[in-house]
Parts: sequence; structure tokens; C-alpha cells
Amino acid sequence: MKRLSVTKSLGAAGLATLLLLPVQACTDLSENPPSLITSETFFHNEAEVLAGLAGVYAQLRSTAPEGGIYDANEVSTDEVVVPIRGQDWIDGGQWIDLHNHTWTPGSAAARAFFNGAWNSAYTGVARANLFVSAVENATVPNKARYVAEGRALRAFYYYILMDMFGGVPIVTTTEVGANPRSTRRELFDFIEGELIAARDSGLPATWGAADNGRFTKGGTDAILANMYLNAGIFTKDGAGAGGINAAAYNSCSGVTVSGGQDACAAAIAASDRLLNSGNYQLADSFPQNFRFDNFKSPENIFVVKFIAGDGLGMNLTMAALHYCQYAPLTPWNGFATLAQTFYAFDPTDQRRKVILSGPQSDVLTGQPATVRVSGACPATWTPATSLVFTDSIRDIGLATEGEGPRIYKWPADPAHVSQNSGNDFAWFRLGEIYLIKAEALNEQTPGSAAALALLNTLRNRNGHPVAPALAGPITRDLIIKERLFELFGEQKRRQDLIRFGQYTGRTDAASGMVGGKQASAAHYILMAIPQTQMDANPLLTQNPGY
Amino acid sequence: MHLKRPVGPILAFLAVLATPLAAQNGSIRGQVVDSVTQQGLGGATVELVFRSTGLTVQPGRQIMTDAEGRFTMSDVVPGAVTVKATRIGYGPQQHEVNVTAGGTADARFVLAPQASVLEPVVVTGYGSQRREAITGSVSTVDGNVANVGVKTNAVQLLEGRAAGVNIIQNSGEPGSGAQVLIRGGSSLSATNEPLYVIDGVPINNVPTEPQSAGVVGDPSLPRNPLNLINPGDISSITVLKDASATAIYGSRASNGVVLIETKRGNASSGPTFEYDGYVSTSSPARRLEVLNGAEYRAFVTDQVAAWRTDSTAFCGRHPTCAADTSVHYPDSAAAFDGLQPSHLGTLGTANTNWADAISRSSVTHNHNLSFAGGTEATRYRASLNYANQKGVTLSSGLERIQGRLSATHSDLNNRLRMELNVTTSRVNNTYLTYENNGGFEGGVFENVATFNPTQPITVTDSTGTRFYEVGGTTIRNPVALADQIINIGQTTRTLANGTVSLDLTPGLTAKVTVGFDLSGGQRQEYYPLSNPVGQAVGGGMARQSDLENQTQTVQTVLNYQRQLGNNTLDFVGGYEYSKFHKDSVIAQGIGFFTDAFSFNNLNAATTRTNLSGASDARLASFFGRANVGFNDRFYVTGVLRYDGSSRFAEGNKWAAFPGISGSWHLSQESFMQSGPFSDLRVRLGWGLQGNPSVDPYTSLITLAGNTGAAYPWGDQAHGGVLATSNGNPDLKWEQTSQIDGAVDFSIMNNRISGTVEYFHKNTKDLLLTIDVPQPALNSTQLKNVGRLSGHGFEVTLDALAISRPSLRWRAGLVFAAERTKVEDLGGSSFISTGFISGQGQSNAVSQRIMPGQPIGTFFGPAFLGVDASGKQVFACTSATAGCVNGQTTLGRGTAEADYRILGNANPDFTLGFHSEITWNRFDVSFLVRAAVGQDVFNNTALVYSTKGNALQDKNFLRPAISDPIGIHEPAIFSSLWVEDASFVRLQNITVGYDLNLPVLTRSARSARLYVSADNLILLTGYSGLDPEVFTTNGLATRGLDYLTYPRPRTITGGMRLLF
Repeated sequence: MKRLSVTKSLGAAGLATLLLLPVQACTDLSENPPSLITSETFFHNEAEVLAGLAGVYAQLRSTAPEGGIYDANEVSTDEVVVPIRGQDWIDGGQWIDLHNHTWTPGSAAARAFFNGAWNSAYTGVARANLFVSAVENATVPNKARYVAEGRALRAFYYYILMDMFGGVPIVTTTEVGANPRSTRRELFDFIEGELIAARDSGLPATWGAADNGRFTKGGTDAILANMYLNAGIFTKDGAGAGGINAAAYNSCSGVTVSGGQDACAAAIAASDRLLNSGNYQLADSFPQNFRFDNFKSPENIFVVKFIAGDGLGMNLTMAALHYCQYAPLTPWNGFATLAQTFYAFDPTDQRRKVILSGPQSDVLTGQPATVRVSGACPATWTPATSLVFTDSIRDIGLATEGEGPRIYKWPADPAHVSQNSGNDFAWFRLGEIYLIKAEALNEQTPGSAAALALLNTLRNRNGHPVAPALAGPITRDLIIKERLFELFGEQKRRQDLIRFGQYTGRTDAASGMVGGKQASAAHYILMAIPQTQMDANPLLTQNPGY
Repeated sequence: MHLKRPVGPILAFLAVLATPLAAQNGSIRGQVVDSVTQQGLGGATVELVFRSTGLTVQPGRQIMTDAEGRFTMSDVVPGAVTVKATRIGYGPQQHEVNVTAGGTADARFVLAPQASVLEPVVVTGYGSQRREAITGSVSTVDGNVANVGVKTNAVQLLEGRAAGVNIIQNSGEPGSGAQVLIRGGSSLSATNEPLYVIDGVPINNVPTEPQSAGVVGDPSLPRNPLNLINPGDISSITVLKDASATAIYGSRASNGVVLIETKRGNASSGPTFEYDGYVSTSSPARRLEVLNGAEYRAFVTDQVAAWRTDSTAFCGRHPTCAADTSVHYPDSAAAFDGLQPSHLGTLGTANTNWADAISRSSVTHNHNLSFAGGTEATRYRASLNYANQKGVTLSSGLERIQGRLSATHSDLNNRLRMELNVTTSRVNNTYLTYENNGGFEGGVFENVATFNPTQPITVTDSTGTRFYEVGGTTIRNPVALADQIINIGQTTRTLANGTVSLDLTPGLTAKVTVGFDLSGGQRQEYYPLSNPVGQAVGGGMARQSDLENQTQTVQTVLNYQRQLGNNTLDFVGGYEYSKFHKDSVIAQGIGFFTDAFSFNNLNAATTRTNLSGASDARLASFFGRANVGFNDRFYVTGVLRYDGSSRFAEGNKWAAFPGISGSWHLSQESFMQSGPFSDLRVRLGWGLQGNPSVDPYTSLITLAGNTGAAYPWGDQAHGGVLATSNGNPDLKWEQTSQIDGAVDFSIMNNRISGTVEYFHKNTKDLLLTIDVPQPALNSTQLKNVGRLSGHGFEVTLDALAISRPSLRWRAGLVFAAERTKVEDLGGSSFISTGFISGQGQSNAVSQRIMPGQPIGTFFGPAFLGVDASGKQVFACTSATAGCVNGQTTLGRGTAEADYRILGNANPDFTLGFHSEITWNRFDVSFLVRAAVGQDVFNNTALVYSTKGNALQDKNFLRPAISDPIGIHEPAIFSSLWVEDASFVRLQNITVGYDLNLPVLTRSARSARLYVSADNLILLTGYSGLDPEVFTTNGLATRGLDYLTYPRPRTITGGMRLLF
């Protein structure tokens, strides 16, 4: 009996202890992620600041091919069309919606491209906000330069938003919350101020080879020159009376910008700072601006850097080429251009070579290319299996594999890693600066001989002409054409068409040149704010007309 | 914590009270028999109720009868005691006997069979309750009754047997996961999976094996984590459905709770040894109906002929056109209809049915060995399971080796009880490379639909025999994919729990449970050079991944039961603490010079990638439940749980979840005595539950370094850092409140019984990943926004239709009708979801989540017909450009404004009907399931029942050949592809025979042979493989059917021997 009762007491005491033990373990529910870091524990030395800066630059990739921004800027114009090819490329109707200007805030194009563009650009802003505020509070060498770099990048992301959507909320803190839209003029002034401040407070004029691709003073001037030329558009919140003229030229003349300057004069001044800096010159060879080694081009002012590495390369090549002309990869056979755009080029203009048409070959080996047979590219070419790109697309809803000329401006990188090519994408290169200055001069003095001279310098390319000299006299029509020939595929066409009052016009002219669109309403000049963003931020107002 | 202080002294005080009870007791012995057959009933429970002397119920004083129905209960406190006998499937009976000190009282019980097969004592969470005391909504399924046919996991036992529990197997793949929806689910983006509790310990039901690399389409879905439990070890499954019942599990209970109890040893019937095994053979119930070789050849030949005809005008202008297509003409753009003559070159002479080529008749075998026994004080059950299930498609299967040990021991006059359960299992999975969803590239099933049927499986030439490949990287020989790609996984999982309980004073019991759940999963993959997939990746790809999950749980529970006159009091209070840890490692190599290494030598690869990650989470809870019974007529239950989770933001980590419910046992009232009801009860309950399925660290702003943040200035990649999450400092629980009202009834002396139940629930603070106002580091954020509501009606009916000595027929019906509705999306007008799979369908969606509509609402263009030129015509409003007479075609662009609601993926109602007939030595049982009124989007037909596939030399499904849609018309989602998917399925039918062979009767106690068929008959108008579909393609998507693994039809032969 005694032994039993001892056992019982021990058992009871043991159990009571057991009952108590776990209660003491529960007090702490705080989290300490083992495989992640938080911003409080970061940005403490220059290496960590550089890692933060790389993240801000990395978002530039979303502004270049391929991404919602590039797609929206290109496919909504006459430069690119993505026809439905059999079972391919219908994609919920998003490409047709974009090309035909039938989008609404909730439609396929808005969901895919505008929402992507909005998020891509604003993610860049948010990363820059976090970076700038962290560096401002950190003690690191070259602090002023890092802050200037962060502000310039942020201004560029806002520039994209201003171009596509008009005035948007201006936020420079890291707080996430609903903010109302600014006017487009306020946003214009903000970007202008930030770029000037960044330029004058620490950005270098040039970088060494190890830092090729980082923001320079020249980068800010190029964006400013472009903004001043488009000031007649970028300072107005929409089409209509007193606003943007959807059917005629919108001049920089008469728009006042920083320092009370006329925008045309400001554009010329910014262009001259670049042309006279001695840091840039036209490349002797036009294709050098686009090849895999185009980081060497003396024309580059502000570029998105790509290298042949996984996730770090450009892949526009994949979107345009046919399945059988980039072995061993299988490109996607999508992006084409319109017949009327193709034929707008003078056949003698060397720059037309960026468009592929007629019988095709493999872009790397040069061997004749074939159509697909049984879903594969036959090993041997025969006349019957020859791949031919037609000059036009009969019906963009029912196209075949070979229909339509292709954009091939950034040729495949021989050292490509999978789809990733090392070609940089120049947002601003000196060629455009010639065109900006010429157009602004022509606005100040219509028929300006100096403007004509600039166009012919561009055509001559240091004695390596891409096209015969223009006879003149210079007109606005000559300028928009020259911009098409020079800047085809470089995300400038939408701006140009809007400035020249042609963006919403009809592009399926009666000449049998098909693949274009009917005239669209004036409000399409501004993209619709995507419905998801309207839902997320109740303070946003939709652009007029949607 | 703050509750710690009061708990300590109370426990110490209670420990002092633990004094021994007096000796010199008596005993009771007797027998329990069936009222129809007058034969002894083994496995009946005999318990002491002690009512007449007002003594407290002595928990644990119960005993099971032996095989002849006999029992002897010793050590009973003298006095007039009430003894009650209960058994599954019989009405209870009780007698009063007088126990004298040192004497033996006799008791004989004659139990009448009744309609419902229900355990008299029900596990209800942190304890068990007598069925009549339960006030919440609880369904129980008997493991032995439901475990027929081929069952790989516990969830399958619930199919069609519990009202309001809808189970959809992901596919026919062996061991595939399942979607379990209890009462329609209550969440949009958080999980809708119920909480699983095995032997009292909640299970962290997350995938135990790493995901596949997903080189072809999306990676295959994880296998069911519950595969570790052998269905043969399950004694019962209880489903807690309403909030008043589940509130005891608080934050994890908003989708219901599934309590799984395993079999234990039983001393009274002596040691037993059991063998239970089956062999089955399966074949796909349906296959993709693709064109055969001859049909495809004829189609292509006809289309080429049409091309020549339609091109006459063009060729008239350019006479060389047919001879030389290399010449480029300005007007040559698509001047042709049909197919170019070059397509003739793709036609071979073979006739390969690729659906047959990848299918097989497979054999599954399953063997359970168990022995059980022990003494009154110590009982044990040990079991061993081996299962080997081969899939009905090549290279897929599951092998399980599992051992389980369960032991209980009691001491100190049965006042101290200890229990130990250990399960260890090893599951070896073989995976087929197929697509759950995805785009251009395809795995096995996409290529079954599209691979050229005029080509052979293998070719033989001077270099030997090899698989035929067209050479394209996106069209691949499906047999080669299945055969050459190695994708296997192994999981070892150990689940252990130990419990000690001690009766501190009469009626007061303390219990401590410690549970461990350790799983280690491994995935090994190799995509060889010899296969186009391996080539396209860059010269072969090998990958090894590891995933380790650890869960530790500690529970302490105090239980107090007391009888005060005719009133009963049952109180449970406790504390639970769980700790979760996850580790993952992935190592990958690309670029091999030989296939010889397979996945075993990553060093040989030219490019190697390594990834790793880890996460922790903790959950702490206090809970209490009081059940009070008044005069055996009224029962009231109150529940309160207070949960704290590390996953939520500071300040929102703790929340309380209350529940209250009551029942009125009307048939006990004198005014009901003469009515038709042998039993009648009404129940009403309300409760609040949570859903905590948030990934750890979601409330924090976290930074990570990855490729997306790297940038190559100076043409050298510089590593970068970016924010992976915006963080949400306000993140908290998703909360569901639910009201439940029910009537339980029995008529005709319990020959027919049933439950009619209605519930209404509201979920608020929905955990939803929504877009945030920009600028933000991440475009979305997990927030608590929006509301969902649901209500439903459930009926359960059981009948004992015939009860004679040689013939007994029992039948049961479950019926459920549920409606869920999105009430509010926190400012969003709608959320697009249900992403469409297949070539040319990027960003295309089929569903919208909209306020006022149920989850699973199809939304898109309405199909009107096909015009003369073969274009599809859709409905439009006149305001839209290109809309003529309310009709438009794609070339003009279908506009979003013309889209409309096309259907609803939820059934109007579901039915399950099961029946068990015993005739002499034969028994027959069957289960029929039906769902009526649900729509399914046949995504498979959209992209593969389209003639246009032939433009790229791809085969297609046979129905397309006779539809009028033109060959150049793309696949467009519309109402055409949303089909009614109502069905009736004969889920299982089993015929068994009780052997009575002389050679066996000497040694075996029972022996049974049976033959069983699963999925024998399916009646449906749905044109796809199976109307029951599962998808993960987008937020809360339901009812999308894309190239699933076909469901098998299985015939099983089995044997059960009990010695």
C-alpha cells in the first residue's frame, strides 16, 4: 500500500509538472525570418547600398522589350501588330484590343498591358523611394551621387507614367497608401525639377567602362529635351478644347517651362548641351546601335542594360522571329509590322533592313529557313518548305505563319544564353537628339535650313550614309517620317503620332495595305487607368472619355 | 502568459487531492445479444452509469464484449448501479443491477438493430461526448464500412457518406490530392481545406514532397499528405461541420474539422491476428477521343485539296505559285484556305492511338497485417501495411510501406492511463510529366491530344531503335516523355503521440498529450539529353530537392464530469502549443554530356543552381468547453478558444473564438411519448471560427536578393536586393460566423432515422491578395478585405429496411444543397480568375469573382453560332464597334462590355446513396454519388477540339471534325465551352461472402472474400473525361477541366481473415 501511494504521488507530481511546462513556452510569438532580411538591417555599407541601387536599375528591364510598357507603346501604333496565327496569339483578345484601340479600363489590353505598365513603372518609383530615403539616412561614401542617381531613376519612371497615363499620384515616401492624381502639368514640373536637381547635385558626366550604363548628366538632358519637345502634350490632361489636339500638330511653341523658357527653346538648349558636350557622337554604322555589342556605341545616352545571362537579357527577338529561323531556340512568331509602315520606307534607305520580308534565313547561321513541318523545323530546305514573310497581313484575326514583315532591329546575340541576348535598349541616343533639335527649330522657324541640315547629318552618319540626303524644304511631314525611319521600334512612335495628331487616325488605308485600324476616339491618346488600379486606390479618377 | 499564474496553483492543489480509492468491490458479468438473431454481439460497449445512487460517473469504466458478446467487469463499487450496453448499429439498452461487496451481479442485454450506424460515443475535439449530449453538427463515418475498393487515403472514406462534405479528387493519379469542401468553403484566397486531427493531434496538412521543376507546363500537383495514414487503420472519421462544434479548434476551424481515430487494441476478445488484403486491376474509364491515323490523313488530304481550289484566283495572277512558294508576291498574304500542300509531307503510314499508347491496365495490391490484444490493463495493436498502386498511365504510381503501433496501459485502479501511437510510413511516388495548366508547351496529355497519329511510337534504322520524334521542341512523343523523363519522390513521415491521463479526483481528469510530426520529402528528377525536353533545357537537366517539415504539439487538458441528480456537467479546459518548422533545399544542374549519371551526379553539369529557404511559425491556444445536460432533456454547450499565431501582425496575433449551442430532446417530454417519433431532438448553435492560412512573415516588409534585382552595369551582373513583400502591419484572422439549426429524428422504433439541417455563415476580413495603391514595392498585398456568405440545407437519412435473421438491409442517403455568395471585395468591382490553359491563351480568363455572385462564376462572350465563312459569332450590344444586328466576330473584336455570366461551377445539390445488404453469408453494398446543376468549362475541348491545330500539324479531338468552325479560326473561350456537368456515379459496389470452410472454422474467427468495383458506371452529359474536375488555375477557381489524368475504373478482389 505504501509503495503504491508513493508511486501515485510521484505520478501526480510528475503530471502536474508536465502540465506546467508547456505553458511557459508560449509567451513569444514574434517573427524572425531565417532566410529574409528587413530594411532596418540593411543599407549599412556601400556594398549594401550598391545592391539596393541595382534593384532600382533592375526595374528598367520592364520598360524595354518585352514588357507591358513596350507592348502598349508599340502595338497601339502602326509599327507593330500581333495577328492571330491559327491557334496562336489570341491570348484573350489582348493584342487585337490594343491594336484596334478598343480597350476599356477592364478589358484584355488594360489588364495585360496597362496594368503591367502602371505596376512596372510605379515599382521602379517605390524602389527608388526606399533607396533614396535609406541612403539619405545612411553614412556612406558618395552619398550625394547615390541620392542623385536614385532621384533621376525615379524621375524616369514618372516620365513613363506621365507619357502613358497623364497626371498620376506623386509619392516620394515609402508609405503605401491612397493618394489623389496630380495634374499632368504638376507631374511635368516635378519630373523636370527632379532631373535638373539630379543633374546639378552629383550625377557625373560620364562613367568608366566598369559602370557603363549608369545615369549621367546627359541622361537627364535627353529626357528633358524629349519632354520639352512634347510639352504641348505632356502639360495637358486630355484631348479636346484647350487640351491636346488629336487631329493636328501639338507644338512645343508657346508652352512655358522652367525658368520661364519657351519649351521649343528649352528643347534646343537641352539638345545643344548634349550635342556640344563632346561625350557623344553618331555611330559610323547605324546597326552598331542595336547589335549585341551596342554598349560600345558612342551614341548611347541612356540605355537599359542587357547581358546574355539568365533573366538579364533582351528577348524581343523571340517575339518577332519565326519558329525556324533562330536555331536551336523556337521563337514565338508573333510581332509583325504593317504593310503601309513597311512601304513608308524608301527601299534605298539602309534603315529599312531592320524589317524582314520575303524569303528568310536563319538569323545566326544564314542558312535558308523553312516553315514548320509537323511542328518541327525540317533539317533540309526545299523550295516547297521555304519560309517567306509576306509584305502584308490579309486579316489580323486569321493570319498564317508566314504573314507580315518582322521587326528585327536588335539582332540575335551569337553568345545568347537561351532567350537572353546582350543587346542594350537605348531609351535615348544621339540620333534622336538631332531629330528633337531639328523639330524644335522647325517650330521656331518653319522650313528652317538648320533643321534640314541636322536631318541630313543624321542620314550621312559621319560619311557612312544610311539614306540619300533630303532636298528640302523641311516640313513637319518630313520630320515625322524621318523619326519613323530612324527610331522604328524604339518606343517613340506613339509619342510622335500623338504630337502630330495622327495617333487616333485610321491606319487601314484603302490601298490594300491591311492590318491597320479604324479611326478611334480622341480620348485614346491617354491610356485608360486600369480598373484594378481604380479599385485599389479610391482617390484615382479615370482619364476623360473612358 | 497571463493564464500561467492561476493554472499552476490549481494543478498543485489538485495533485494533493489525488488520494487512493477504497477497496473491497464487486463485479458484474453478462452477455449482449442481437434481438433478431439472438446471437452474441462482440465489440459492444458496456459501461457503468451509477445514476441510481447519485455517484459520479467514473470515466473509463467501460468494457468491450468478447466475440460471443460476453463480458465481466470487476472492481465495481458496491451499490445499485445502472449498466448500459451500446453497439454501433444498435439501439442502447440499460439495466439496473445491485452489486454487493465481493459478489457478482448478472446482466443480459438484448439490443435491437437500428437504422443509423453510429458510434454511441463521439470524438468531439479534446475528448469525447455521448452522442445524445452533442449539440453541434457532427457527422461520423465508420472506417470499416467506408473502406471498400481502392482507397489510398483517409479523405476518400468520406466520399458520398457525410452530408455537406464535398470531395473532389484532383485526378485519377495514384495518391493524388483532393479538394475537400465542407459546406462550400468559406475563403477566397486562404485555404478551404479542413483541419485534420489524428488521434487528437492537429496535423499540419502541407505538402510533404518538394514541387517538381515544371519544365513542361506547370509542375504536377502535390500528392495527398494524408497518404501516410493507411485507411485500414482508421476506425472512424468524425466531421465537425458547424461553428459551435468546431469553435474548440478556433482559428483553424473555419473550413470544418476532420477527426480521424485509429484502431486500438481490445483486450476482451483475446489476442487477434488479422490479414486484410486485395488485388485490383484498373484501366482508364475514358480516354481522349482523338482522330485516328486514317481520319487525320483524310482530313489533311481534304484540306490540301481545298487549298488548291480556293487559291485559283491567286495562282491565276501568279502562274508559278503552286510550283514555287519561295517567290514573294505582294498580294500573297493568306490568299489560301485549307492547308498548304507541304502538310502532306507530315503524313506517315502508321496508325498510332496515343491515348492507348500511354495507357495501361494496372495492378494494385494492398496488404494489411495486424495483431491486437492485451490484458485489461495493457492493450496493444500493431499493424503493417504494404500498398503498391500502379497508375493507369505509364510511369505513375505509388508504393507505401507503413507501420503503426498503438499501446495503452492503465494503472492505479485505472486512474492513470497512458497511450502511445506511432505511425511511420514511407511513400515512394512515381510522377508522370503532365500539365495541370499552362500554355504553349505540353507534357504527356497535351501531346496525346496533338501528336501526329500517322507516326509510329518508335523507329528502327541503322543506329538502332529509338522513339519517333518530329524534332520540334514543343511537340514531343508522349510515350517518350513518360518513359524517358525520371520524376520520382519519396516521403518518410513519422507521426507519434503520447498521452498520459490521470483521474485527480472522481470526475476530474488531467491529460497531457505530446505529438510529433516529422516528414522528410525528396524529389529526384532527370530530363535526359535523349528527350527533346532535356535538349531544349540545354543538354539535360537534373534536380534534387528536399523538403523537411516538423511540427511539435503539446496539449494539456483538464476534464471534469459530474452528475448532479438528473443533470450532467462536462467541462474541458486546456492549453495547446504548436511549433512548425520548414526547411527546403534545391540543387539543380543543366548541361550534361551523357545521360548515364541521371540525377545522381550534379557535379557533372556545366551550370548549377542552388536554392534554399526556411520558415518557422508558432500557434498557442487556450480553450474551454462546458456541456451541461438538464434532466436528459436539454443540453447546452459553450465553447471559448483564445488563439495566438506568430503569422499575424503585432497587436493582431491573438483572437477569441466563441461558440454556443443547445439541444432539446423533445422525445423525452411526456407530450411527445405517444407521437410517431421514437427519438426527436432539435439543435441550434452559433459560433465564430478563424482561418489562419497565411504564410509566415507576411506582415513584415522583407528584402531578398534574387535574379530579378540584379543589374549589369559595365556588362557585369551586380547582385541586387528588392522587397519581396509590402508587409501588412494590420494583418489578422479571417473570421467566419455560422448559425446552424437541425432536427434529429427517428421513427418506427429507430428503424428510420435522420437529420435535417440548415446553416448560414458569413466570412469577414477575407484574406485576399489585392492590388495596392501605387507606388508600392510589390503590386499586391495580403489584406483583410471583403465578405462572403453561404447557406445550405443538408439531409441525412438512414433506414433499416429489412431486419430478419437471414436478411438485413440498411440504406442511407445524404443530400446537400449549398449556396455561397461573394458579398464584398473591399472596393474591387471584380477579380478576374480561372486562367485559361493552352496555346494562344495567355492572360485569357474564364471566371470573375463578383459581389452578388457565387465563387466559380463563368464570365465571357456568349456564343451564337458559326457564320457561312466558318467564323464564330458572338452576341454583342449595338453600341460596340463591329456589332451588327447584335452579332460580332472576333476579327472585329469582341468587347468586354458584351461579356456575360455563362454559368456557375457549383452544383445545385449533391447526393450520396449507400446501401448494405446482408443475406445469409453474402453481403452486397454500394455507393452512388450524384451532383446536379454544376457547370464545367471544358478547357481541353476549347484548345484541342479545334481543327486549326492542323495548321501546325497537330492532331485534335474528334468532335471538331464535324463542327462548322473554320480551320483558320482560333480557339476562343465562350459559352460554347461551358457545359452542364451533372452526373450520377456508381462509386463502388462490393459483393462479399463469409467463408465457413471447416478448415478455417478451426483456426480463423472469421474469413471474408469480396469483389468490388470502383467507378463502374458514370452517367453524365458532360463531353470531357470526367465531370468532377479540379484546378488551381487562379484565385478560387472552380470547375475548369484541362487535360487531367484520367480516372480509372477498378475491379478489386480481396480477402479478410481474422484469427
